[in-house]
Amino acid sequence: MTTRDFIQERIDSLESREVLLDVQNLKTYYPVTGGFFKRVVGNVKAVDDVSFTIRRGETLGLVGESGCGKSTTGRTILRLLKPTGGKILFEGKDITKVSGSKLQKARRDFQMVFQDPYASLNPMQMVGDIIAEPILNYEKRNKQELEQEIKSLLTRVGLPEEAYYKYAHEFSGGQRQRIGIARALALNPKLIVADEPVSALDVSVQSQVLNLLKDLQKEFDLTYLFIAHDLSVVKHMSDRIGVMYLGNLVELASNRDLYREPLHPYTQALISAIPEPNTAIKKERIVLQGDVPSPQNPPSGCPFHTRCPMAMDICSKEKPPLKEVRPGHHVACLLY
Amino acid sequence: MASSTTITQQKKPERSLSPWQIARKKFLRNKLAMASTIFIIIVTVISLLAPFLAPYLSPNPDITKVNIGSMNIQPNGEHILGTDKSGRDVLTRLFYGGRVSLLVGFSATLMVITLGTVVGSIAGFFGGAVDSILMRFTDFVLNFPFLVFVIVLNTVLYGIVDGLWVLIMVIGVLSWGGVARLVRSKVLAEKENEYILAALSIGCSPWKVIRKHLLPNVMSTIIVQGTLIFASMIVVESALSYLGFGVPQTTPSWGNMLSSANEPDVLQGKPWIWMPPALVITLTILSINFIGEGLKDALNPKSLR
Ligand SMILES: Nc1ncnc2c1ncn2[C@@H]1O[C@H](COP(=O)(O)OP(=O)(O)OP(=O)(O)O)[C@@H](O)[C@H]1O
Ligand code: SF4
Ligand SMILES: [Mg+2]
Repeated sequence: MTTRDFIQERIDSLESREVLLDVQNLKTYYPVTGGFFKRVVGNVKAVDDVSFTIRRGETLGLVGESGCGKSTTGRTILRLLKPTGGKILFEGKDITKVSGSKLQKARRDFQMVFQDPYASLNPMQMVGDIIAEPILNYEKRNKQELEQEIKSLLTRVGLPEEAYYKYAHEFSGGQRQRIGIARALALNPKLIVADEPVSALDVSVQSQVLNLLKDLQKEFDLTYLFIAHDLSVVKHMSDRIGVMYLGNLVELASNRDLYREPLHPYTQALISAIPEPNTAIKKERIVLQGDVPSPQNPPSGCPFHTRCPMAMDICSKEKPPLKEVRPGHHVACLLY
Repeated sequence: MASSTTITQQKKPERSLSPWQIARKKFLRNKLAMASTIFIIIVTVISLLAPFLAPYLSPNPDITKVNIGSMNIQPNGEHILGTDKSGRDVLTRLFYGGRVSLLVGFSATLMVITLGTVVGSIAGFFGGAVDSILMRFTDFVLNFPFLVFVIVLNTVLYGIVDGLWVLIMVIGVLSWGGVARLVRSKVLAEKENEYILAALSIGCSPWKVIRKHLLPNVMSTIIVQGTLIFASMIVVESALSYLGFGVPQTTPSWGNMLSSANEPDVLQGKPWIWMPPALVITLTILSINFIGEGLKDALNPKSLR
């Protein structure tokens, strides 16, 4: 079977599966407070309009420049942040507004792998306890059995059993990230949000961790929301890819379509900037003018119009909604 | 044969040292801090065992039974450190005084640290309105005229509540503001780390996050601060008692003993009455500060990460 057939087969099999996560017009604002009484004087519109679905077993990649709201999107979906608007449906259940102990209960089904391997593990906790904690939050367990289970989990993520008795500071970045993955895996979750899980790691270690994530997906039938700012990493990992700009999802397409035929001018610019390994092919690089506007005071109309090389008059007045312009290919741009 | 005598060693799983164990090892190697710790332990033990160790049964012999002839005696074989102007044995009072001074210092510190930690960690962790309200309240307490309050309360509650506990409560209730601010700022900084978010996402309740994840990581700061407060509480006790607003005069404390130096003839002519408490107070405070420094070194977060 060629790689191409393999990919096609995966696409077909995914399409028959049910939607696990359905995000509709998600908004998350951070209040900006000022003055003596900490009055709210404005909002950072970190996530302003994001909609997508993820099917069970699928990996949706989310790319965009630093500060475009990727982490905020991921954290809101896991309800680590309160959404300002929109809806989050997990397995058809609305989790937009759950709170307190109900939320605590719901959390066992969705876990997160964090970006910073140095800050995401409690330095005062033994590795064994770090990984056992999620399980003990939900179940009473026999100590010895649990220890065995965690040791086999450590082995599964590529760490020696002795890691159980150590502390985070004794490990390298890549090993720490494996500990974080084991912690996320411990509850056997349905969805894992991986927020730039390799961007802090050495390039030599990155692919090992990425491959581990891929293997685990197959083994445990995991669904990933995979966040990255590096397009080649996302391409390697994702079935479908969403592109974010200034809190908005501007394009959403299958991996193949997005790279072959990017529709949004922003995506086109991003893809033109990927260094081409095959130097025979010379691409025209689209260089964007200007800076990303502040999310506290986003431009009217299309959020990209201040930098878009194709901008038209109407673009500053009308905000383009995310539209399906080809089968499975969504774009938010007035050109289509 | 060599091989037959080889003992195969059973390999135990190698447990690494926890951050606390690393800190303990470092502290035990610090000579000055260890000497100070030993000194404080000795002072504490002597104070606790005062009834058994003191040369005289009671630090406060009934004034009617005091032999006029035993007042202001210079140190001699019978009274190793001499007697004071009421004819009380100075060494006996020094032992009993330690009980009171250390009790005041320790209890007040415990109250201050507990209140400050609770208020500071809740304000820092929850933020928002909770934070605003708690910190306004903290500012109010911090700006409260401390001395006035002590004097007024002492007068009002005189005879109703044991004067010693009035003092402890007043100091405790009015002095936690600084700790609350410190803990809050530490919690705010620590909260930014992703392990706090991770703790929430694996299903910990907010209280568990504070207890199991935040507090252990700010504990080193709290402990170091606690030693400094302990030292300053002993000073506060002495100063207030010296001024006559602290521990009731009938109860011996290091501060009360020192207050006899009020009188010029005692200060100049009878140093055996005030020198011992002055020396003990100074050494105790120095030791506690050395212990604090040692803890600060040992608990340096860099060595814990
Ligand atoms: N706690 C916060 N309070 C206020 N503003 C915030 C907060 N966290 C993030 N922001 C702002 O929200 C916007 C989106 O941040 P977010 O962390 O989601 O971006 P990101 O795409 O994950 O970026 P990066 O690639 O740097 O991780 C940024 O402008 C950021 O400054
Ligand atoms: S809507 Fe207009 S400004 Fe926005 S991306 Fe399309 S062409 Fe550019
Ligand atoms: Mg981020």
